[in-house]
Amino acid sequence: MSQLQRVAAIVLSLFCAAVAAVAADRIFTTPNPAAELKRLFPNAAAFSALTGEPLHFTAYAADPKTNPSAPPQGVAFWTTDLVPQEHGYHGPIHILVGMDMSGVLTGVVVTYNSEPYGYFSVEPPKFAMQFKGKKISDPFRVGGDVDAVSRASISISSATRAIRDSARMVAKQLLPEAGK
Amino acid sequence: MDPAVEGWREILRPQALDLALFAAFAALALVSFFRKSVALKYVTFVAAVGYLGFTKSSLVSVSDVFRLTDLSVPELKYSLVWYAFMAFVVVTTVLWGRVYCGRVCAFGALTQLMDPIIPRRMRVEVPVRIEKYANQIKYGVLAAVLVYYVVTKDVAGPIRYAEPFWMFSLFGTTAMWSGLAVLLVATVFVRNLYCRFLCPVGAALGIISSVTTVFSIKRWAECKSCKLCEKTCEWGAIRGPLIVKSECVRCDDCERLYMDQKKCPHWLILFKRKGNTAVPASNV
Repeated sequence: MSQLQRVAAIVLSLFCAAVAAVAADRIFTTPNPAAELKRLFPNAAAFSALTGEPLHFTAYAADPKTNPSAPPQGVAFWTTDLVPQEHGYHGPIHILVGMDMSGVLTGVVVTYNSEPYGYFSVEPPKFAMQFKGKKISDPFRVGGDVDAVSRASISISSATRAIRDSARMVAKQLLPEAGK
Repeated sequence: MDPAVEGWREILRPQALDLALFAAFAALALVSFFRKSVALKYVTFVAAVGYLGFTKSSLVSVSDVFRLTDLSVPELKYSLVWYAFMAFVVVTTVLWGRVYCGRVCAFGALTQLMDPIIPRRMRVEVPVRIEKYANQIKYGVLAAVLVYYVVTKDVAGPIRYAEPFWMFSLFGTTAMWSGLAVLLVATVFVRNLYCRFLCPVGAALGIISSVTTVFSIKRWAECKSCKLCEKTCEWGAIRGPLIVKSECVRCDDCERLYMDQKKCPHWLILFKRKGNTAVPASNV
């Protein structure tokens, strides 16, 4: 091992150790996803703040401040709040999921990913589009009712599982009438 | 219905075929390595390009080096093949050095498949004094992309412009494909140009190899003065009596010479002393 390589090895390992300490900061989800919520519920007049257990936004057809009896249109939630353990190829994929009160997805929006091949897996609108109208009881199987993207299977499978599992968890706890 | 009740059967079934095929590939790569067989090495190259490359796009990328900074990994139970692949890369590197670069990496396999096809006279041999410095470029590339990643948290950038492994995914912009074309044309003249001088993954594995390599290549006492292997090595990994572990990709060329009783001076000197009687193979 030459002197130069020894130095390179030491410098790189020191660098990695320093970086590990600094890089521990997380990337957080969009704090106020007003535009994304509007895309999931275009007819909604108002949205609640992100509250509740599990954390969710509620979409209302009429502003509940002026019309307290306004029925909710549906709920929206971050997959990263519901299934934080779900990782793609390189970390969590931030997906905002909209669901109506009967357990049918109104759509999903991918706001952030750090997938190396994100640009052809989870970023294209084609990926998000296919979840609109899906029921929580659907299989969500990559290669079945969700298109497989060959050579990006870890990213696609992770995003699909995140949407499926978070939607089912929210439906179970917030939408007792959603049924199966 | 409940995600918690997803059984092992449902988790394993979609991965079973890929696990079996990867195990078969790993076995092929190791058999070709241990038998020092040229023919099996080329079979491994074809399998690496066809299966690991164009079918699965499963290559170690510099994004896998980024993981070391944030310890962000895919979920184990859904990504068994990926874990098996990574374990294979790390274990072979610790034990033998850059075996991954030499016969598993689909891009390396692709450029090595060019070797027997391209006529020798088209090749430009890089002078040793230049090569010694050119070898270090890859460490610079590795450091640069690591700094870029830590500052910007952008994984996709370095992958597009610092490494060509995306080519197996077939998704690239015109700029990316043009860069790749330049690289491949240059590789026609300078053998395995990317692996030897530029690859940040090779640099990272080279650092591991120089520190570890449990089973390094043996040398005869005569290797101190003989230059035969040094001239044969297509990776510029032999300098006098020394094998540079960070450059050696365990291609077996020197090891085949080493065992060759008709070419290696060790044997020739031995025969001369013993009066031209071939030594039985068991004495090797």
